[in-house]
Amino acid sequence: MSELKTTILTDDHLELKAKMAPFAGYNMPIQYSSVKEEALAVRNSVGVFDVSHMGEFFVEGEQTIDFIDHIIPNDYKNLSVGKAIYAPLLRENATIIDDLITYKLSENKAMICVNAANIEKDWNWISAQAQKFDIKLSNHSDEISLLAVQGPKAESTLNSLGLEVSDVPTFGVKSFENGIILARTGYTGEDGFEVFCPNATVKELWSNLLSSGVTPCGLAARDVLRLEVCYPLYGHELNDELTPLDTGLKWTVKMNKQNFIGKETLENYKAKYKLIKLALNKGIPREGYDVLNSNGDVIGKVTSGTMSVTLNRGIALALIDSQKVPADEIFLIKIRKNDYPAEYLKKPFVVGGNKK
Amino acid sequence: MSNTPSELKYTQEHEWAKLEGEVISIGITDFAQSSLGDIVFLELPEVGTSLDKDSPFGVVESIKSVSDLFSPLAGEVIEVNSELVDSPENINENAYDNWMIKVKPANMGDYEELMSAEQYTSFCDEN
Repeated sequence: MSELKTTILTDDHLELKAKMAPFAGYNMPIQYSSVKEEALAVRNSVGVFDVSHMGEFFVEGEQTIDFIDHIIPNDYKNLSVGKAIYAPLLRENATIIDDLITYKLSENKAMICVNAANIEKDWNWISAQAQKFDIKLSNHSDEISLLAVQGPKAESTLNSLGLEVSDVPTFGVKSFENGIILARTGYTGEDGFEVFCPNATVKELWSNLLSSGVTPCGLAARDVLRLEVCYPLYGHELNDELTPLDTGLKWTVKMNKQNFIGKETLENYKAKYKLIKLALNKGIPREGYDVLNSNGDVIGKVTSGTMSVTLNRGIALALIDSQKVPADEIFLIKIRKNDYPAEYLKKPFVVGGNKK
Repeated sequence: MSNTPSELKYTQEHEWAKLEGEVISIGITDFAQSSLGDIVFLELPEVGTSLDKDSPFGVVESIKSVSDLFSPLAGEVIEVNSELVDSPENINENAYDNWMIKVKPANMGDYEELMSAEQYTSFCDEN
């Protein structure tokens, strides 16, 4: 096994006695105090996550817009400068290479933020596509650190530290003189910002955030928070075999666009799966557990499951065989020897987004 | 540092056993609760279940993890702490006040073989 990579803040995490564990090739903080306290800090106040493992690519040149619009199915062309957009990255057969956010820094410059585990796979794919375009592509993943500052008090906290963010709309992007680029985006469902920092600036920002009373939060709390608001995670709800139509990402696919990679396949594609939301009153669903219909037949599997700290009940996302979605909408989850009836929900478990 | 009372016996799976007359109560250690973090679910056997030494007798879940509980000894379950099933978070408050099951041991040899507090402390330090 190759050596684990570390973020610039590793010593700071160790000093806080964080539980560290390998994640996507990086030694990452999983938990500081308690998953529950950290998650609730984000829902009720403000927390900060070191997500510097994530990758950042830059696209520059005259054909930047045409290029991005070609490699993602969402509508980048009509996006305003200074805004960001979420999309999957698709192959010709429409299977999902990764999911990513693209930031329109100017007409001729974009930043793409990708999952740490997929940096190499994405880079290889995007570079191969780039050959037909007049653009310059560069990978800055090792030079940029990323802090996600999330929660109702995120705006006031960043303002107080001299990063004026009140003028940044949802999914808006702002660049600062010291090289920081931030966007009003996140993975928790709360108001908040993802702050891309040149490596040299991240230690100071981290320490200023903690001095301002921001709760350091680990990847465990991040996973609970994203699952509560039903955001998909690559490797769980999304993978190399599924298309966006199989897994709840139809909204990111703009079939009226002239062209994008995967469009031809999707024109006649029948979804193989449906991604659904289930909640339990007893028991905690976990990844890989079987989902059953009222006859006890296996019709799908849990892709992510946890105890919700906000609702204090077990919640799950599950992929169900699209041919077997029961008309009576009765679902059960098999946990060890018992089948637990699940509540089938059509809206996310938790709706965040308050400001204070 | 984890708390490890000297009057109890311990397993490598981080259960404790406490001898009270002819009955042995079983729970998980302070080290275990601290490693697990917020405990949110507990599944225990029914009274009358017979257990083998080192066999799984239940499940403890934190927000992000699922762990089997292993019986330190062979015997019959004679009492189950159903209040703890309703409030598993109490284990995080005090791991040793919150027993999970009481077992009538098949033989006392199993109990005698368990680790002492001193042995368990060095086992945790080494692992």
